Amino acid sequence: MQGKGLLVGLGITIKHFFRKKETVQYPEEKLPMPETFRGGKLVLDEKKCIACKMCSMACPNKALDLTVEIDENKKRHMKKYIHKSGRCLYCDFCVEACPTKAISWNRDYEISCYHKDELTYDAVENNRKDDTHE
Amino acid sequence: MHYGLLMSIANMLSNGINSIVNSRIGTQIIMALIEIIAIFAVISVAVIILVYMERRVCGFIQDRLGPNRVGPFGILQTVADMIKLMTKEDIIPKKAHKILWGITPMLLFVPAALVYAVYPFGDGAIFADVNIGIFFVMAVMSQSVLMFLLGGFASENKYSFIGSMRAVAQMLSSEIPMAFSILAVVMITGSLKMSDIVSAQSNAWFVVLQPLAFIIFIISMIMETNRTPFNLVEGESEIIAGPFTEYSGMRWALFFLSEYANLLSAAILTVTLFLGGWHGPLLPGVFWFIIKVFIVIFIFMWISWTYPRTRIDQMMSLSWKILLPLALLNIVVTGIGVYIYKWMY
Repeated sequence: MQGKGLLVGLGITIKHFFRKKETVQYPEEKLPMPETFRGGKLVLDEKKCIACKMCSMACPNKALDLTVEIDENKKRHMKKYIHKSGRCLYCDFCVEACPTKAISWNRDYEISCYHKDELTYDAVENNRKDDTHE
Repeated sequence: MHYGLLMSIANMLSNGINSIVNSRIGTQIIMALIEIIAIFAVISVAVIILVYMERRVCGFIQDRLGPNRVGPFGILQTVADMIKLMTKEDIIPKKAHKILWGITPMLLFVPAALVYAVYPFGDGAIFADVNIGIFFVMAVMSQSVLMFLLGGFASENKYSFIGSMRAVAQMLSSEIPMAFSILAVVMITGSLKMSDIVSAQSNAWFVVLQPLAFIIFIISMIMETNRTPFNLVEGESEIIAGPFTEYSGMRWALFFLSEYANLLSAAILTVTLFLGGWHGPLLPGVFWFIIKVFIVIFIFMWISWTYPRTRIDQMMSLSWKILLPLALLNIVVTGIGVYIYKWMY
Protein backbone atom coordinates (compact mmCIF):
# COMPACT_ATOMS: atom_id res chain seq x y z
CA MET A 1 0.00 0.00 0.00
CA GLN A 2 1.32 3.42 -0.93
CA GLY A 3 1.99 5.93 1.80
CA LYS A 4 2.44 3.36 4.57
CA GLY A 5 6.14 4.17 4.76
CA LEU A 6 5.33 7.79 5.58
CA LEU A 7 3.42 6.75 8.69
CA VAL A 8 6.18 4.32 9.69
CA GLY A 9 8.69 7.16 9.43
CA LEU A 10 6.55 9.44 11.59
CA GLY A 11 6.30 6.67 14.16
CA ILE A 12 10.07 6.25 14.25
CA THR A 13 10.72 9.96 14.74
CA ILE A 14 8.16 10.32 17.53
CA LYS A 15 9.72 7.32 19.28
CA HIS A 16 13.10 9.01 19.11
CA PHE A 17 11.54 12.26 20.36
CA PHE A 18 10.75 10.70 23.74
CA ARG A 19 13.82 8.48 23.93
CA LYS A 20 16.79 9.07 26.23
CA LYS A 21 19.23 11.45 24.56
CA GLU A 22 22.64 10.30 23.38
CA THR A 23 24.60 13.52 23.87
CA VAL A 24 26.45 14.52 27.04
CA GLN A 25 26.51 18.08 28.39
CA TYR A 26 30.31 18.12 28.32
CA PRO A 27 31.71 20.49 30.96
CA GLU A 28 29.18 19.36 33.57
CA GLU A 29 28.86 15.70 32.60
CA LYS A 30 31.73 13.60 31.34
CA LEU A 31 31.62 10.22 29.72
CA PRO A 32 33.18 7.54 31.94
CA MET A 33 36.19 6.05 30.18
CA PRO A 34 36.33 2.28 29.76
CA GLU A 35 38.66 0.13 31.88
CA THR A 36 41.07 -0.51 29.01
CA PHE A 37 41.41 3.17 28.04
CA ARG A 38 45.08 4.19 27.71
CA GLY A 39 45.51 7.88 28.35
CA GLY A 40 46.06 10.63 30.86
CA LYS A 41 48.86 10.40 33.37
CA LEU A 42 50.70 7.42 34.80
CA VAL A 43 49.92 6.74 38.44
CA LEU A 44 52.65 4.99 40.41
CA ASP A 45 51.75 2.86 43.40
CA GLU A 46 54.93 3.24 45.46
CA LYS A 47 53.95 0.47 47.88
CA LYS A 48 53.93 -2.08 45.06
CA CYS A 49 56.87 -0.68 43.09
CA ILE A 50 60.14 -2.61 43.38
CA ALA A 51 62.12 -0.14 41.23
CA CYS A 52 63.20 -2.74 38.70
CA LYS A 53 63.08 -0.28 35.75
CA MET A 54 61.27 -2.85 33.61
CA CYS A 55 58.84 -0.19 32.49
CA SER A 56 61.47 2.16 31.11
CA MET A 57 63.18 -0.77 29.37
CA ALA A 58 59.93 -1.76 27.71
CA CYS A 59 59.27 1.76 26.54
CA PRO A 60 59.88 2.03 22.76
CA ASN A 61 60.24 5.81 22.85
CA LYS A 62 62.36 6.38 25.95
CA ALA A 63 59.52 8.34 27.46
CA LEU A 64 60.24 7.22 31.01
CA ASP A 65 63.18 8.73 32.89
CA LEU A 66 63.62 7.00 36.24
CA THR A 67 65.95 7.69 39.14
CA VAL A 68 66.33 4.88 41.66
CA GLU A 69 67.50 5.38 45.21
CA ILE A 70 68.86 2.63 47.49
CA ASP A 71 68.33 3.30 51.17
CA GLU A 72 70.28 1.94 54.20
CA ASN A 73 68.25 -1.30 54.28
CA LYS A 74 69.45 -2.12 50.75
CA LYS A 75 65.90 -1.50 49.57
CA ARG A 76 65.35 0.08 46.18
CA HIS A 77 62.66 2.67 45.66
CA MET A 78 61.85 5.39 43.15
CA LYS A 79 63.19 8.86 43.74
CA LYS A 80 61.93 10.31 40.48
CA TYR A 81 59.50 8.77 38.03
CA ILE A 82 59.49 11.27 35.14
CA HIS A 83 57.07 10.59 32.34
CA LYS A 84 57.59 12.66 29.20
CA SER A 85 54.09 12.42 27.84
CA GLY A 86 55.10 14.39 24.74
CA ARG A 87 57.11 11.39 23.67
CA CYS A 88 54.64 8.83 24.91
CA LEU A 89 52.85 6.55 22.45
CA TYR A 90 50.31 5.42 25.04
CA CYS A 91 51.11 1.88 23.90
CA ASP A 92 50.65 0.31 27.35
CA PHE A 93 53.96 -1.63 27.13
CA CYS A 94 55.15 -0.16 30.44
CA VAL A 95 52.01 -1.20 32.25
CA GLU A 96 52.24 -4.69 30.73
CA ALA A 97 55.92 -5.01 31.61
CA CYS A 98 55.45 -4.15 35.27
CA PRO A 99 55.84 -7.36 37.32
CA THR A 100 53.93 -6.04 40.32
CA LYS A 101 51.28 -4.01 38.46
CA ALA A 102 52.41 -0.84 40.19
CA ILE A 103 51.65 1.63 37.39
CA SER A 104 48.30 2.41 35.81
CA TRP A 105 46.68 5.14 33.75
CA ASN A 106 44.43 7.61 35.53
CA ARG A 107 42.20 7.71 32.37
CA ASP A 108 41.86 11.50 32.41
CA TYR A 109 41.54 12.52 28.75
CA GLU A 110 41.79 16.30 29.28
CA ILE A 111 45.57 16.52 28.87
CA SER A 112 45.98 19.46 26.53
CA CYS A 113 48.28 22.21 27.82
CA TYR A 114 49.81 25.51 26.77
CA HIS A 115 53.54 24.85 27.23
CA LYS A 116 55.82 22.05 26.14
CA ASP A 117 57.35 21.57 29.58
CA GLU A 118 53.92 20.91 31.08
CA LEU A 119 53.93 17.65 29.16
CA THR A 120 56.63 16.29 31.45
CA TYR A 121 55.66 15.38 35.00
CA ASP A 122 56.96 13.36 37.91
CA ALA A 123 54.64 10.60 39.10
CA VAL A 124 56.34 10.38 42.49
CA GLU A 125 55.90 14.10 42.98
CA ASN A 126 52.23 13.78 42.02
CA ASN A 127 51.83 11.17 44.75
CA ARG A 128 53.44 13.54 47.29
CA LYS A 129 51.03 16.28 46.12
CA ASP A 130 48.05 14.00 46.65
CA ASP A 131 49.32 13.16 50.13
CA THR A 132 49.63 16.81 51.09
CA HIS A 133 46.12 17.45 49.77
CA GLU A 134 44.71 14.71 51.92
CA MET B 1 -22.46 40.70 21.65
CA HIS B 2 -19.17 38.87 22.18
CA TYR B 3 -17.78 37.83 25.53
CA GLY B 4 -14.27 36.63 24.64
CA LEU B 5 -11.32 37.36 26.91
CA LEU B 6 -9.41 39.39 24.31
CA MET B 7 -12.61 41.26 23.44
CA SER B 8 -13.20 42.31 27.06
CA ILE B 9 -9.57 43.45 27.36
CA ALA B 10 -9.98 45.52 24.18
CA ASN B 11 -13.22 47.03 25.48
CA MET B 12 -11.57 47.95 28.79
CA LEU B 13 -8.67 49.54 26.89
CA SER B 14 -10.93 51.57 24.60
CA ASN B 15 -13.04 52.77 27.54
CA GLY B 16 -9.88 53.80 29.39
CA ILE B 17 -8.50 55.66 26.38
CA ASN B 18 -11.89 57.28 25.80
CA SER B 19 -11.94 58.65 29.35
CA ILE B 20 -8.51 60.21 28.76
CA VAL B 21 -8.89 61.48 25.19
CA ASN B 22 -12.64 62.30 25.25
CA SER B 23 -13.13 61.97 21.50
CA ARG B 24 -14.38 58.99 19.49
CA ILE B 25 -12.07 59.48 16.52
CA GLY B 26 -8.98 59.86 18.70
CA THR B 27 -9.86 56.68 20.57
CA GLN B 28 -10.31 54.76 17.31
CA ILE B 29 -6.96 55.96 15.95
CA ILE B 30 -5.14 54.98 19.15
CA MET B 31 -6.90 51.60 19.21
CA ALA B 32 -5.92 50.98 15.58
CA LEU B 33 -2.28 51.75 16.43
CA ILE B 34 -2.45 49.42 19.43
CA GLU B 35 -3.86 46.68 17.20
CA ILE B 36 -1.06 47.13 14.65
CA ILE B 37 1.52 46.98 17.43
CA ALA B 38 -0.22 43.89 18.80
CA ILE B 39 0.07 42.06 15.45
CA PHE B 40 3.79 42.80 15.23
CA ALA B 41 4.29 41.83 18.87
CA VAL B 42 2.50 38.54 18.27
CA ILE B 43 4.66 37.82 15.21
CA SER B 44 7.92 38.75 16.95
CA VAL B 45 7.22 36.75 20.10
CA ALA B 46 6.01 33.84 18.01
CA VAL B 47 9.20 33.88 15.93
CA ILE B 48 11.37 33.87 19.06
CA ILE B 49 9.40 30.92 20.44
CA LEU B 50 9.17 29.07 17.13
CA VAL B 51 12.87 29.19 16.26
CA TYR B 52 13.69 27.86 19.72
CA MET B 53 10.98 25.22 19.42
CA GLU B 54 12.14 24.20 15.96
CA ARG B 55 15.68 23.63 17.11
CA ARG B 56 14.55 21.82 20.23
CA VAL B 57 12.17 19.52 18.35
CA CYS B 58 14.84 18.85 15.73
CA GLY B 59 17.32 18.00 18.45
CA PHE B 60 14.96 15.73 20.34
CA ILE B 61 14.07 13.83 17.18
CA GLN B 62 17.78 13.38 16.41
CA ASP B 63 18.51 12.09 19.95
CA ARG B 64 20.15 15.35 21.05
CA LEU B 65 19.07 18.06 23.47
CA GLY B 66 19.25 21.08 21.20
CA PRO B 67 20.11 24.58 22.45
CA ASN B 68 20.20 24.66 26.25
CA ARG B 69 22.99 27.07 27.19
CA VAL B 70 21.75 30.65 26.76
CA GLY B 71 19.38 31.48 29.60
CA PRO B 72 17.18 28.93 31.37
CA PHE B 73 16.72 25.87 29.11
CA GLY B 74 18.26 27.90 26.27
CA ILE B 75 15.20 30.13 25.87
CA LEU B 76 17.33 33.17 25.01
CA GLN B 77 19.11 31.34 22.15
CA THR B 78 16.99 33.10 19.53
CA VAL B 79 17.68 36.49 21.13
CA ALA B 80 21.41 35.76 20.97
CA ASP B 81 21.05 34.76 17.31
CA MET B 82 19.19 37.99 16.54
CA ILE B 83 21.88 40.11 18.25
CA LYS B 84 24.52 38.24 16.27
CA LEU B 85 22.67 38.89 12.99
CA MET B 86 22.21 42.60 13.79
CA THR B 87 25.92 43.12 14.39
CA LYS B 88 26.92 41.46 11.12
CA GLU B 89 28.44 43.32 8.23
CA ASP B 90 25.96 44.35 5.54
CA ILE B 91 27.33 42.85 2.34
CA ILE B 92 25.81 44.03 -0.95
CA PRO B 93 26.75 42.04 -4.05
CA LYS B 94 28.46 44.12 -6.72
CA LYS B 95 26.26 42.98 -9.59
CA ALA B 96 22.91 43.08 -7.79
CA HIS B 97 20.11 45.47 -8.71
CA LYS B 98 20.56 47.38 -5.48
CA ILE B 99 17.12 48.93 -5.06
CA LEU B 100 15.15 45.79 -5.90
CA TRP B 101 17.56 43.67 -3.94
CA GLY B 102 17.35 45.84 -0.85
CA ILE B 103 13.58 46.26 -0.88
CA THR B 104 12.76 42.55 -1.22
CA PRO B 105 13.14 41.46 2.44
CA MET B 106 10.90 44.30 3.61
CA LEU B 107 8.32 43.58 0.91
CA LEU B 108 8.31 39.89 1.81
CA PHE B 109 7.29 40.77 5.34
CA VAL B 110 4.25 42.74 4.15
CA PRO B 111 2.02 39.82 3.01
CA ALA B 112 3.26 37.71 5.92
CA ALA B 113 1.99 40.33 8.39
CA LEU B 114 -1.05 41.47 6.39
CA VAL B 115 -2.73 38.08 6.60
CA TYR B 116 -3.05 38.41 10.37
CA ALA B 117 -5.71 41.08 9.95
CA VAL B 118 -8.45 38.52 9.29
CA TYR B 119 -7.51 35.76 11.75
CA PRO B 120 -9.96 35.14 14.60
CA PHE B 121 -7.82 34.87 17.73
CA GLY B 122 -10.74 34.49 20.10
CA ASP B 123 -14.46 35.16 20.50
CA GLY B 124 -14.93 38.40 18.53
CA ALA B 125 -11.19 39.09 18.64
CA ILE B 126 -10.65 39.67 14.95
CA PHE B 127 -9.11 42.83 13.54
CA ALA B 128 -11.14 43.06 10.35
CA ASP B 129 -14.01 40.61 9.96
CA VAL B 130 -14.40 41.14 6.22
CA ASN B 131 -17.00 39.08 4.35
CA ILE B 132 -14.33 37.61 2.02
CA GLY B 133 -11.95 36.62 4.85
CA ILE B 134 -10.60 33.31 3.58
CA PHE B 135 -10.40 34.61 0.02
CA PHE B 136 -8.37 37.56 1.28
CA VAL B 137 -5.97 35.17 3.04
CA MET B 138 -5.43 33.13 -0.12
CA ALA B 139 -4.96 36.23 -2.26
CA VAL B 140 -2.42 37.81 0.08
CA MET B 141 -0.55 34.58 0.77
CA SER B 142 0.11 34.04 -2.91
CA GLN B 143 1.77 37.47 -3.11
CA SER B 144 4.92 36.24 -1.35
CA VAL B 145 5.91 34.32 -4.49
CA LEU B 146 6.60 37.66 -6.19
CA MET B 147 9.08 38.62 -3.50
CA PHE B 148 10.93 35.34 -3.89
CA LEU B 149 11.10 35.87 -7.64
CA LEU B 150 12.24 39.47 -7.16
CA GLY B 151 14.93 38.57 -4.64
CA GLY B 152 16.27 35.77 -6.78
CA PHE B 153 16.27 37.88 -9.91
CA ALA B 154 17.88 40.94 -8.31
CA SER B 155 20.70 38.93 -6.74
CA GLU B 156 22.26 38.23 -10.18
CA ASN B 157 23.29 34.79 -9.02
CA LYS B 158 22.43 31.59 -10.84
CA TYR B 159 21.55 29.68 -7.69
CA SER B 160 19.28 32.48 -6.51
CA PHE B 161 17.56 32.51 -9.86
CA ILE B 162 17.07 28.75 -9.92
CA GLY B 163 15.64 29.00 -6.43
CA SER B 164 13.24 31.77 -7.36
CA MET B 165 12.04 29.92 -10.44
CA ARG B 166 11.42 26.91 -8.27
CA ALA B 167 9.53 29.12 -5.83
CA VAL B 168 7.13 30.19 -8.58
CA ALA B 169 6.55 26.62 -9.76
CA GLN B 170 6.09 25.33 -6.24
CA MET B 171 3.75 28.03 -5.00
CA LEU B 172 1.58 27.91 -8.12
CA SER B 173 1.16 24.18 -7.80
CA SER B 174 0.47 24.32 -4.07
CA GLU B 175 -2.10 27.14 -4.21
CA ILE B 176 -4.57 25.17 -6.31
CA PRO B 177 -5.07 22.06 -4.17
CA MET B 178 -5.15 24.38 -1.15
CA ALA B 179 -7.90 26.50 -2.71
CA PHE B 180 -9.97 23.44 -3.59
CA SER B 181 -9.59 21.93 -0.11
CA ILE B 182 -10.69 25.25 1.42
CA LEU B 183 -13.61 25.31 -1.01
CA ALA B 184 -15.04 22.15 0.54
CA VAL B 185 -15.07 23.86 3.94
CA VAL B 186 -16.66 26.98 2.44
CA MET B 187 -19.37 24.83 0.82
CA ILE B 188 -20.41 23.47 4.19
CA THR B 189 -20.24 26.85 5.91
CA GLY B 190 -21.88 28.78 3.11
CA SER B 191 -19.74 31.83 3.88
CA LEU B 192 -16.23 33.16 3.33
CA LYS B 193 -16.28 35.07 6.60
CA MET B 194 -13.72 33.80 9.12
CA SER B 195 -16.01 34.28 12.11
CA ASP B 196 -18.77 32.30 10.36
CA ILE B 197 -16.36 29.47 9.57
CA VAL B 198 -15.37 29.28 13.25
CA SER B 199 -18.92 29.51 14.58
CA ALA B 200 -20.04 26.75 12.16
CA GLN B 201 -17.66 24.40 14.02
CA SER B 202 -19.21 24.87 17.46
CA ASN B 203 -20.78 21.39 17.28
CA ALA B 204 -18.43 19.41 15.04
CA TRP B 205 -14.94 20.34 13.84
CA PHE B 206 -14.44 20.21 10.10
CA VAL B 207 -11.56 17.76 10.51
CA VAL B 208 -14.25 15.17 11.27
CA LEU B 209 -16.44 16.16 8.33
CA GLN B 210 -13.58 16.75 5.88
CA PRO B 211 -10.65 14.42 6.71
CA LEU B 212 -9.48 14.26 3.08
CA ALA B 213 -9.58 18.03 2.68
CA PHE B 214 -7.66 18.34 5.96
CA ILE B 215 -4.84 16.10 4.72
CA ILE B 216 -4.68 17.86 1.36
CA PHE B 217 -4.67 21.23 3.11
CA ILE B 218 -1.83 20.24 5.47
CA ILE B 219 0.32 18.98 2.58
CA SER B 220 -0.30 22.05 0.43
CA MET B 221 0.37 24.30 3.44
CA ILE B 222 3.76 22.66 3.93
CA MET B 223 4.45 23.35 0.27
CA GLU B 224 3.25 26.94 0.67
CA THR B 225 5.51 27.67 3.64
CA ASN B 226 8.61 26.11 2.01
CA ARG B 227 9.31 23.57 4.71
CA THR B 228 10.91 20.16 4.32
CA PRO B 229 9.86 17.79 2.61
CA PHE B 230 9.10 20.57 0.11
CA ASN B 231 11.81 23.13 0.87
CA LEU B 232 12.92 23.13 -2.75
CA VAL B 233 13.19 26.90 -2.78
CA GLU B 234 16.06 26.88 -0.28
CA GLY B 235 17.31 23.40 -1.10
CA GLU B 236 20.51 23.93 0.84
CA SER B 237 22.18 20.79 -0.47
CA GLU B 238 21.55 21.64 -4.12
CA ILE B 239 21.23 25.43 -4.50
CA ILE B 240 23.04 27.07 -1.61
CA ALA B 241 20.06 28.89 -0.13
CA GLY B 242 17.93 29.72 -3.15
CA PRO B 243 16.75 33.34 -3.22
CA PHE B 244 18.44 34.04 0.14
CA THR B 245 21.95 33.18 -1.08
CA GLU B 246 23.24 36.74 -1.38
CA TYR B 247 21.49 38.08 1.72
CA SER B 248 23.27 38.33 5.03
CA GLY B 249 22.85 39.83 8.47
CA MET B 250 19.67 41.73 9.17
CA ARG B 251 18.26 41.27 5.66
CA TRP B 252 18.52 37.52 6.03
CA ALA B 253 16.94 37.82 9.47
CA LEU B 254 13.93 39.50 7.83
CA PHE B 255 13.60 36.55 5.43
CA PHE B 256 13.80 34.26 8.40
CA LEU B 257 11.19 36.29 10.28
CA SER B 258 8.70 36.19 7.41
CA GLU B 259 9.30 32.47 6.95
CA TYR B 260 8.30 31.79 10.54
CA ALA B 261 5.45 34.29 10.37
CA ASN B 262 4.17 32.25 7.41
CA LEU B 263 4.54 29.05 9.41
CA LEU B 264 2.50 30.56 12.24
CA SER B 265 -0.17 31.82 9.85
CA ALA B 266 -0.34 28.37 8.23
CA ALA B 267 -0.95 26.85 11.66
CA ILE B 268 -3.56 29.48 12.52
CA LEU B 269 -5.32 28.85 9.21
CA THR B 270 -5.36 25.10 9.85
CA VAL B 271 -6.81 25.63 13.31
CA THR B 272 -9.42 28.10 12.06
CA LEU B 273 -10.60 26.03 9.13
CA PHE B 274 -10.45 22.48 10.46
CA LEU B 275 -9.86 22.37 14.22
CA GLY B 276 -12.69 24.54 15.50
CA GLY B 277 -10.81 27.82 15.94
CA TRP B 278 -11.10 29.03 19.53
CA HIS B 279 -13.84 26.58 20.52
CA GLY B 280 -13.12 24.44 23.56
CA PRO B 281 -14.39 23.63 27.03
CA LEU B 282 -13.52 25.31 30.37
CA LEU B 283 -10.62 27.60 29.38
CA PRO B 284 -11.16 30.96 27.65
CA GLY B 285 -11.10 30.78 23.86
CA VAL B 286 -7.67 32.37 23.40
CA PHE B 287 -5.93 29.67 25.41
CA TRP B 288 -7.57 26.93 23.36
CA PHE B 289 -6.51 28.76 20.25
CA ILE B 290 -2.87 28.97 21.38
CA ILE B 291 -2.81 25.32 22.46
CA LYS B 292 -4.21 24.14 19.13
CA VAL B 293 -1.84 26.34 17.14
CA PHE B 294 1.15 24.94 18.97
CA ILE B 295 -0.01 21.37 18.44
CA VAL B 296 -0.37 22.03 14.71
CA ILE B 297 3.06 23.68 14.58
CA PHE B 298 4.53 20.68 16.36
CA ILE B 299 2.96 18.42 13.72
CA PHE B 300 4.49 20.57 10.97
CA MET B 301 7.92 20.32 12.60
CA TRP B 302 7.50 16.61 13.22
CA ILE B 303 6.73 16.08 9.53
CA SER B 304 9.58 18.29 8.37
CA TRP B 305 12.21 16.55 10.49
CA THR B 306 11.02 13.12 9.39
CA TYR B 307 11.09 13.20 5.62
CA PRO B 308 13.91 13.94 3.20
CA ARG B 309 13.48 16.60 0.55
CA THR B 310 11.56 15.64 -2.58
CA ARG B 311 12.71 16.47 -6.08
CA ILE B 312 10.95 19.30 -7.88
CA ASP B 313 9.30 16.94 -10.38
CA GLN B 314 8.08 14.66 -7.61
CA MET B 315 6.55 17.62 -5.82
CA MET B 316 4.85 18.89 -8.98
CA SER B 317 3.45 15.46 -9.85
CA LEU B 318 2.19 14.99 -6.29
CA SER B 319 0.45 18.34 -6.40
CA TRP B 320 -1.05 18.17 -9.90
CA LYS B 321 -1.65 14.45 -10.36
CA ILE B 322 -2.64 13.33 -6.87
CA LEU B 323 -3.75 16.20 -4.65
CA LEU B 324 -5.76 18.11 -7.27
CA PRO B 325 -7.93 15.13 -8.41
CA LEU B 326 -8.46 14.14 -4.79
CA ALA B 327 -9.52 17.67 -3.90
CA LEU B 328 -11.95 17.76 -6.85
CA LEU B 329 -13.37 14.38 -5.81
CA ASN B 330 -13.73 15.71 -2.29
CA ILE B 331 -15.68 18.71 -3.60
CA VAL B 332 -18.04 16.42 -5.55
CA VAL B 333 -18.66 14.21 -2.51
CA THR B 334 -19.14 17.26 -0.29
CA GLY B 335 -21.62 18.74 -2.76
CA ILE B 336 -23.67 15.54 -2.81
CA GLY B 337 -23.49 15.38 0.98
CA VAL B 338 -24.67 18.97 1.40
CA TYR B 339 -27.55 18.35 -1.04
CA ILE B 340 -28.70 15.24 0.81
CA TYR B 341 -28.45 17.02 4.15
CA LYS B 342 -30.62 19.89 2.92
CA TRP B 343 -33.13 17.44 1.42
CA MET B 344 -33.39 15.51 4.69
CA TYR B 345 -33.86 18.49 7.04
